[in-house]
Amino acid sequence: MEKELVINQRIEWKRKQTFRNFLIFLLIALVIICIGVPLFMALLWSLVNPDYPWSYPQSFPSHISLAQWKYVFKYTNIVRAIVTSFSIAPIAAVLSIFLSLPSAYALGRIRFPSREFFKIIILLPIILPGIVVALFLSRTLDFIGLSQNFFGLVLGHTLMCIPYMLRILTTSFEGIPQEVIDAAGNLGATPFVKFKEIYIPLIKLGLFAGAILAFITSIEEFNLTFVIGTPTFETIPTILFSFLGYNFIRTNAAVISIILMIPNITLLFIVERFLKTGYLSAVLGKG
Amino acid sequence: MKKKNQIFTYFWLFPGVGYIIFFLSITIVMMVLQSFGFFSLTAASQFSFKYWQYLFDRQFLDCFLFSLKIGLVSTFGALIFSYPLALLMRKSFIWKKTFGSILKIPLFVPAVVGAFLIINLMAYHGILNEVLLKLGLIKEPLRMLYNKWGINIIVIQIWKNIPFQLLIISSVVETIRTDIEEAARNLGANSFAVVRYIMFPLSIPGILAAVIIVFIFAFGDYVITKVAGPTYPTTLSVQMQTISMMFMEWNKAACIGVIIMVTSALSAAFFAKLAKIIQGIK
Repeated sequence: MEKELVINQRIEWKRKQTFRNFLIFLLIALVIICIGVPLFMALLWSLVNPDYPWSYPQSFPSHISLAQWKYVFKYTNIVRAIVTSFSIAPIAAVLSIFLSLPSAYALGRIRFPSREFFKIIILLPIILPGIVVALFLSRTLDFIGLSQNFFGLVLGHTLMCIPYMLRILTTSFEGIPQEVIDAAGNLGATPFVKFKEIYIPLIKLGLFAGAILAFITSIEEFNLTFVIGTPTFETIPTILFSFLGYNFIRTNAAVISIILMIPNITLLFIVERFLKTGYLSAVLGKG
Repeated sequence: MKKKNQIFTYFWLFPGVGYIIFFLSITIVMMVLQSFGFFSLTAASQFSFKYWQYLFDRQFLDCFLFSLKIGLVSTFGALIFSYPLALLMRKSFIWKKTFGSILKIPLFVPAVVGAFLIINLMAYHGILNEVLLKLGLIKEPLRMLYNKWGINIIVIQIWKNIPFQLLIISSVVETIRTDIEEAARNLGANSFAVVRYIMFPLSIPGILAAVIIVFIFAFGDYVITKVAGPTYPTTLSVQMQTISMMFMEWNKAACIGVIIMVTSALSAAFFAKLAKIIQGIK
């Protein structure tokens, strides 16, 4: 009698477990569909052969070709935009490393009263509505002659990159145990040696994650480039924007979105592969 | 000695934090000054309240309500998905790490691209309509693009912001100790009770931060609405950009900018208050 009860309970438990696993599986499948299908459709659209247009009754394009890719590279400004995007991004990332290092050191290692306040303040460029900041920053840059100017663009992009870099480096500096630094001090290390032999190796991963996030932020940045740069400077996002406006050509837009997504998604998987999770929570977390 | 240290700290803070404070403050000062008639391009540059009259315009009201609706619906729509996902990500299951990386993709896809991807799906003969037709749920394709309710803007916002909310909420949910949950289960609580009385109250700080940030994003959004939204009504940001860059009425645009910033700040305060009330109920 008692044995039967135990067996029944176990069957019940197992059934619950299977049901739970099934639900989890369903949720995962749903998420993958929601993220995968849009990406796949964009890829299909970019491969449509212009001689055999993909129209309503067909579920898939009948002919696949790279003709759209050739067209976009030949007849649009995409090459120049790629060059602009990929020259602003590294400069902005490097500038934000140099500007953030001292401040992150202070925020991470020195205890001072307004520390938490500053940690919130540095998030403002990410949180404040981008277009508002872009419009009125451009007014100011206009007065000092820096709008429609490469240097002005770099300044703007750097403003958007610094928050990521600062937050990540701050967490890295906070993670260094004080004993290590004290030990080095007792052994007679000068500040320069401490910096080179202790701080830099221990925040290396933070620097790496910060640089990649800064780079992606700059590649993605639309509002600032659009307001400060166009029409003199075009980056990949602003070109895509113009293709989605009054001259809406789906196939061209698809090609450009793929061009824009490839570096970002690759970098995402690189960061995920080489870093422990938590680099993004370091930016967004409240602490 | 102590004072000297303090100065030294600010010296360190200067390059990074100073950069942010400098550029943001000149931006905000410029905006506020322009809203009161200074730095005018078209009229004499002098103090005046006349640009603020735009706030009583029908057009302004429509756009304000539209932005508010987009902001609220997108924020809480994304929360419906991101909170259960955050709870799920606490458990361990196979391929969890890969799944976590895939989930982050929308965060790394620029907003313009995100808008384009979803437009493809929701077009008149897009895959969403096709699937609904095949399933027999609708008789003829729905017109979901550029419609005046902003359905597709909301879908894009939700798609783009789920990972963002998920990350913020996860960073809080992961700090909740599992033994509390186990204790409750030992005392006979079912899954619902565990979420309702333990997980939810403890994750409110994360939910609050996620709600505030995504609300500000969606409320002040420019590019998604411009690409996928109706021409009228539209969000305040689109209206502000049109007024400033097309009509060159920068002072009027500055008033809208001030309103966007003030509404964002007030909404943050409002949600914080709301979280306090919910925490009080228990």
